[in-house]
Amino acid sequence: MLPMAEISDNPSVDTIVGTYRRRSFFRVALVAAAALVLFTTVVIDVITGPADLDFLRVAHVIFQPSVATPKEEVIIWDLRLPVATMAVVVGAMLGVAGAELQTILNNPLAEPFTLGLSSAASFGAAVAIVLGWSVLPGLGAIFVTVNAFFFAMVASLFLFMVTRMRGANPETIILMGIAMMFTFNALLAFLQYGASELQLAQLIFWQLGSLARATWPKVGICLVVLAVILPYFLSRSWALTALRMGEEKAAALGVNVSLLRLMVLGGVSLLSAVAVSFVGAIAFVGLVAPHIARMIAGEDQRGFLPLSALTGALILSGTSIASKAITPGIVYPIGMITSLIGIPFFVSLILSQRKRHWQ
Amino acid sequence: MNARFMSGFALTIAATVTLLTPATEAQAEALTLTDIAGRQVTLDEQPDKIILGEGRMMYAIAAITDGNPFENVVGWKDDLIQFDPDAFRKFEAAFPADAERMINFGNPYAGDFSIEAVLEADADLVLLDSGNLFKAEETGLIEKLDKAGVPVVFIDFRRNATENTVPSLLILGRILGEEAGAAKFIDFYIAEMRKVTNIIDTIPADERPLVVVENAAGWQPDFCCWSFGPYNYGRFVELAGGKNFASTLANAYSVTLSMEGVIDADPDHIIGTGANWAEAKPEVTSTLLGYEGDPNVNAEKIAALAARPGFSELRAVQEGNYHSIYHQFYNSPYHFVAVQQIAKWLYPDDFEDLDPQETFNRLHDEFMPYAASGQFWLSAE
Repeated sequence: MLPMAEISDNPSVDTIVGTYRRRSFFRVALVAAAALVLFTTVVIDVITGPADLDFLRVAHVIFQPSVATPKEEVIIWDLRLPVATMAVVVGAMLGVAGAELQTILNNPLAEPFTLGLSSAASFGAAVAIVLGWSVLPGLGAIFVTVNAFFFAMVASLFLFMVTRMRGANPETIILMGIAMMFTFNALLAFLQYGASELQLAQLIFWQLGSLARATWPKVGICLVVLAVILPYFLSRSWALTALRMGEEKAAALGVNVSLLRLMVLGGVSLLSAVAVSFVGAIAFVGLVAPHIARMIAGEDQRGFLPLSALTGALILSGTSIASKAITPGIVYPIGMITSLIGIPFFVSLILSQRKRHWQ
Repeated sequence: MNARFMSGFALTIAATVTLLTPATEAQAEALTLTDIAGRQVTLDEQPDKIILGEGRMMYAIAAITDGNPFENVVGWKDDLIQFDPDAFRKFEAAFPADAERMINFGNPYAGDFSIEAVLEADADLVLLDSGNLFKAEETGLIEKLDKAGVPVVFIDFRRNATENTVPSLLILGRILGEEAGAAKFIDFYIAEMRKVTNIIDTIPADERPLVVVENAAGWQPDFCCWSFGPYNYGRFVELAGGKNFASTLANAYSVTLSMEGVIDADPDHIIGTGANWAEAKPEVTSTLLGYEGDPNVNAEKIAALAARPGFSELRAVQEGNYHSIYHQFYNSPYHFVAVQQIAKWLYPDDFEDLDPQETFNRLHDEFMPYAASGQFWLSAE
């Protein structure tokens, strides 16, 4: 961040323009640097695994698929690449969802997990796994995913309705979200009690999250959702940045605050519902990624939003590598690791943050 | 010498004294035993209103009981009905009135297993499986039942299946007053297990084939693989002379394998477990093995399992070594049948004369209240 002194004391037009240019350049450079780091982790993610394939061989198989043996083809194309891309896309989705929830609700704790959306999805999955109930009958194997999505959307809809209530403010929404999280967690625990050994093993996937089930169609769906919603959020960056100065100020600048809040909440709901219904509940990415982005790029959404997405992707991609490295050949739930990384980081953030971002 | 030992010592003396006392009424004899969890339990008299923490305990009870295995049982958990409906219908056909009479007490570790219901049923013993000992202690279930005067005895056919089966059968024999039946079945069990292990013991460790066990293959249609470490089916494979892949990774009961790890390991055999789960969970793609298993249906199911992405290219699958076996052997004292069949898959020449189907039939002829039927294992073509 640039020192504020440069633009004080009657600056000339040139100075202001120069500062702005430098700041824009700085922002672009940051995003580019983050993208580069992300690319590196994705490469590492793709070249590591129980099977011993070196970088050149992996690159060869990717750029010239015809050279691959059937075994290599399955490992690279069906197992490693979908997982690596899924980590990036879902990480970005959660990063963006967390960033915008924190923005519109003006609360540093807001994210899909704390607002109960992930718990709702887990509960939806549990209903399918333990009780065999499907919201849309006749779906076959994907009904667990569909149930998870449906419950996450119901939870979002509820938050939506709360925002429309008279006298609803961001605190009401947060508290309602937390109430929902506890409700769904309690209901989930209720179902767990009656579950068999196999059903429990299946539930762990939803509660702790896992990338092991990534397939290309799932990656595709996530990409489409992200490709629609991220540009929309970026197009509203100005209004969202204004909102961070306070509701009244944003309104004075001509922002329709309640409409903005509603639209963004809709987008966030879709992002998080799709993400959790494919990979299960992954904690902390949506919370921590925006905080890191804010510390680096400040509040301006044009830097903050892409950086939140990239940081989220980076965290999940790194976690994907870590989860493979613990014991090669064994799959560990990924949400377990994000929490382990997330908690110390979160604590240090709370203790070290001197500047008050939040009114 | 601590207080617990002393009290245990006193109890033993008490039990001995009771035994020495000429029994005027067999029913009034106190029974002191040590259960699988290592707890010493004293029953004032032979229990005749038993609650089974798992319905699948009937597999063992039926095998050692001469006559009606439901005689001393008042209720159970409905897992047998849910996850092995074929076996339940066998029991139902043989003992319709008793199967009807069974009260479903639900999950003993859940809130719905109420102490009141236990008292209402006038139960005098609750049998729990030791895999859930920790949970039972955590929820205070043992204490509460104790306060209500209902003793708890732990048995185990799953967690340390091969180690705990004989002691569990001995305990059941004493509780049910079926010591002779238990002894007869234990002889059978040991003899059948030795038919495999006596030969396997001569095979050097480095010549043993690598086996991947897929626990409940097809339970989750989009996911592979749950496996067992050196427990349960993982242990069965080891006893049958295989090198269990998951045991090489972790010393845990349950191990989640990554598909890539399986491909890289290039196992010689893959053994998936299956049972008739389709009634409780219609979306499963597993083989529906059990007393009503249909070879035609299962041939299709196993072909689909072997053709899943990643599997079709495996050497084991291409060489016809993708197998499927009845999942419930994992929670029953009949697992010697599984050990025999696995040994036959791994060493067809050494076990040419061993016929696991004949063992299974003999088990039913000699011990079970119903006849063998259906299909319990097969290999992909």
